[in-house]
Amino acid sequence: MGTARRHHRSTRELFDQRSLALDEVSTPPAIVTAPPARRLWFCVYLPQLPLEANGPGAGPRAVVEEQQGIHRVLLTCPRAEAAGVMPGQSANAALALLPRLLIEERSEVAEQQALEHLAGWLEQFSSMVSIAGPDVLLVEIAGSLRLYGGLLKLRQQIAAGLEQLGFSASLAIAPTPLAATWLARGGRRACIREPANIGAALRTLPLSCLDWPAATCESLAGMGVRNIGECLRLPREGVARRFGPQRLLELDRALGRLPDPRTSWRAPERFCTDHEMTEEQSDRELLLAICRELLQSHERFLLARQLGVQSIEFSFFHLRSNATVLRLGCVEAERQAGRWFDLLRLQFEKLVLPEPVIAVRLRGGHTQALRAESGRLVFRGRTAGRGIRFSIAQLAERLMARVGRQSVAGVATVAEHRPQLAWRPRNLLKEKTLGEVSTARGRLQRPLWMLPEPARLHVDDGYPLHQGRLRILDGPERLETGWWDEDSIARDYYTAINPRGMRLWVFRTRSRDADWYLHGFFG
Amino acid sequence: MQRDSSSLDKLLENPRVWRGHNQAHAPGGLPSGYQALDNHLPGGGWPRHALTEILVEHYGIGELRLLMPALAALSTPDNDIDYNEPGWIAWVSPPFHPYPPALQQWGVDLSRMLIVRPKDASEMLWSAEQALSSGTCAAVLLWSDTLDDQASRRLQLAAEKGRSWAIAFRPPAARRQPSAAALRIELLAGQEGTRVAILKSRGGRPAVLHDLL
Repeated sequence: MGTARRHHRSTRELFDQRSLALDEVSTPPAIVTAPPARRLWFCVYLPQLPLEANGPGAGPRAVVEEQQGIHRVLLTCPRAEAAGVMPGQSANAALALLPRLLIEERSEVAEQQALEHLAGWLEQFSSMVSIAGPDVLLVEIAGSLRLYGGLLKLRQQIAAGLEQLGFSASLAIAPTPLAATWLARGGRRACIREPANIGAALRTLPLSCLDWPAATCESLAGMGVRNIGECLRLPREGVARRFGPQRLLELDRALGRLPDPRTSWRAPERFCTDHEMTEEQSDRELLLAICRELLQSHERFLLARQLGVQSIEFSFFHLRSNATVLRLGCVEAERQAGRWFDLLRLQFEKLVLPEPVIAVRLRGGHTQALRAESGRLVFRGRTAGRGIRFSIAQLAERLMARVGRQSVAGVATVAEHRPQLAWRPRNLLKEKTLGEVSTARGRLQRPLWMLPEPARLHVDDGYPLHQGRLRILDGPERLETGWWDEDSIARDYYTAINPRGMRLWVFRTRSRDADWYLHGFFG
Repeated sequence: MQRDSSSLDKLLENPRVWRGHNQAHAPGGLPSGYQALDNHLPGGGWPRHALTEILVEHYGIGELRLLMPALAALSTPDNDIDYNEPGWIAWVSPPFHPYPPALQQWGVDLSRMLIVRPKDASEMLWSAEQALSSGTCAAVLLWSDTLDDQASRRLQLAAEKGRSWAIAFRPPAARRQPSAAALRIELLAGQEGTRVAILKSRGGRPAVLHDLL
């Protein structure tokens, strides 16, 4: 067996002087662990995806993309092409050729969505579907052949299905994912079952199928290398040095000399259930009870899958007007119906329903794995006596649900001499709370209350006024900083007291007119 | 004589008879950091798990300085009073920004501050109640001009439930309103300094303290 000898070869030989030639399969360079199970990859390459992702259209269409400030045609439908619209033309030139042309902006989001939709559809044929690029899907079909009655029938079924869905695809089958991808990009309707035949099939493919960086392809072309076969004849060491080991790795993987693991794509699971009522209802208590039931079945759904969600959405359907939608969000993934119900009740109080409700729908957000929390090793009796009902995150969530997200915050200091910039609000839910006790206590006293903006003080006979004349107790402390941005300050800060006994933090600007301002209180 | 004394004992056993000095042995208070004040408070400190009302006419007369040592102790983990785990300190509708560098100078742990700015009085009361009864907050400070008897009772109950310390800042006019607070003090400011007047103290006596702040 050739494979037995293969095991004892060292990695050093990966970069030996021998050529990449395929014919030397008897002495392959890489270490391969136990011979892998035979795999067969079905590649679906979607060259027209930017056009097709925008949905079917009646008239001639073209997709444009902005390149250096000019909208240029990226893809056209056959009818537009017949009229002379070509990729690379500017949008104006295309319109001049064909005034009826429907011009669409390229949407990568729509392309990704279409790709995920297709991946979900392909999951019926195999449990292993992989999104291998912006326009490439891979399906591992070795295990599905018997079920679908052979390779030919499976291929026909997938091709027919894709056509029905409105996608024109180039299909190829090969034992390695990369070989299948390259063959599909090359437009070869190839179907290779034996790993030994990969090399021969790839040999005539042009370099453009490799999807390598343009610079690499150019310098290869400069060396007179036009197809993969010629590329494989180059010395290994030279290829690795000039184009990086990644290129060599890809070639080895395509030929099946090295394993090429792929991640399996899974359609996200989402919960969506309706509760239909026999007649319209406006009793809010009843509606809440229905919501609670829905939340409980949502919890069972998540519990069985060990998942949680961060957001849910209730839709209340009415007979004569649009549905009222209520969205709820949580900081951490959550599945407990009770906690969602608490949040719902807070918002439901304020919800205005224009009409009685005929149906309620609960739609869960994207699911994610729940994070387990470790319990405490030491049971502390007195802490337990405090009866913690909810954590700070839960408390903050409840407060935010009622008084608004902007109105709940923590605080943090910022290393900055300008007093108004020396602090910032802290997002309680995002920023981790670490103990933050002062280490610098010997500094000058700062007031406990700070005004949002310094308030200008009237001056009487040279004395600043705030409910009476101010008497200076301490100061000045000169702060002159911030020259590097728009907010530079030059101030003398004083501690002052007024006749009512209020201690104030005031400053005088160091400009010619020297105004007095109140900036805080020593509360 | 014998008969008289036994009837007195009987009378005192009657649950409807309330004797003030029993209350003085209430669970230990939270040391305020001001010895003169601790001496006048039953339990030797601020009443825990209860509502304290502070009546102030102006800000900047030491109303926060009075609380800072106790808040610093509550927010830092190395205290040996009641909480093994440091508690949060909630500020509900403060009149200005509590200034973090100054809080730090007093030794308060900034990562334990929660600032809530509700839009109206009912939201304010609700937020304070939630924070008090959550069991997460060691102290809840709130500023209100419109607290009534019923609201103060709700706050007192929430403080007991969540074993938290509620501090309500109110205008001096609130002096005439009844309240469920365990402690009510008024700060009287003047050029010569701020006096602290204990108006009502469950289990204690009224007093006026000079030169405290």
